[in-house]
Amino acid sequence: MATNLFNWIRQNLFGQISCQRCLELLELMTDGEASPEEEAQFQKHIDDCLPCYETYNLEQSIKEMIRTKLEKKKVPDDLINSIKQKIRNTA
Amino acid sequence: MSVEKVKQNYSSREKDRIFEQEFLPHIGSMYNFAYRLTFDEDDAKDLVQETYLKAFRFLNSFQQGTNAKAWLFRILKNSFINDFRKKSKQPAKVDYQEVETFYNSEDVDVSMTTDLRVETVQHMIGDEVSNALNALAVDFRTVIILCDLEGFTYEEMSKILDIPIGTVRSRLHRARNLLKEKLQAYAKSMGYNK
Ligand SMILES: [Zn+2]
Repeated sequence: MATNLFNWIRQNLFGQISCQRCLELLELMTDGEASPEEEAQFQKHIDDCLPCYETYNLEQSIKEMIRTKLEKKKVPDDLINSIKQKIRNTA
Repeated sequence: MSVEKVKQNYSSREKDRIFEQEFLPHIGSMYNFAYRLTFDEDDAKDLVQETYLKAFRFLNSFQQGTNAKAWLFRILKNSFINDFRKKSKQPAKVDYQEVETFYNSEDVDVSMTTDLRVETVQHMIGDEVSNALNALAVDFRTVIILCDLEGFTYEEMSKILDIPIGTVRSRLHRARNLLKEKLQAYAKSMGYNK
C-alpha cells in the first residue's frame, strides 16, 4: 500500500515512469532500440527500482549468453569453392 | 525489401567484386543460421549454396550501400521456407493468434514470472544454451538468432522476415519468454536456483 502511494506520487508529481512502462521499454533498451528520451526515462527508473533493475540485468545476461556461448560451426572447407564453381558453370 | 524497385545494371567485374567483398564475408553467419534452421550439415550446406547462387543471379536487385547481410539472410530465409521446410518434418506454422495482438492491446502484459537468476544464466554452457534455443519452434528460434546472435535491428528483421515491426517485437518477446521457461526448467532439473 505504501509502495503504491509512493509510486503514485513519483509518477504524478515527479513525472517518473511506472514499473509497467519500464518493463515495456525493457526489450527496446536491451536491443538498443529505445529513443534517447525513452532511454533517459528508463535509466532514471532503474536507478531507484531494484526489481526492474534486476529484470533488466537478467534480460541483458540472456542476450549476452546467446551472443557468446552458442557454438559456432565451421564453414565446410569446400563450400566457397563449390559455390564459385557453380557460378562459373552457369555464367 | 524495397530493393526490387530499383534494378541495377552492374558490369561483370562489379558483380564479381560485390560477390567477393560484400557477400562472401557473411558465409560464416549464413552457414550457422542455416544449420540452426535445418539441424543438418548437408542441408545447411545446400541451403547456403542455393542462397549464394540466387544472390549472384539476382545481383542486379541488390543496391550497393544497403545491408548485404540482411539481403542475404532474407534470401536464405525464403529458400528455407520454400524449399527446405516442405521436405523437413518441422511443423509448418506456429499459431500466433495470442502472440501477434500483444503490442496492439492497450493492456500490455509485461509480467515475467521467472525465477531465473543472472548467476544461473552466467553458468550455462554452450550446449545448454543450444538445447534451449533449439527446442523453440523455428519462427521463435529465428527471431532470437537474428536479434541476439546476429545483431540485426528490428527494422532489418522486419525486412528479412516480411513482417511489420510490431510483429517482430511481439514474436521476439514471446520467444524470449519461452526461452526463459526452457532455461528455467533446465536449471531446476540440474538443481540450480534453490
Ligand atoms: Zn520498477
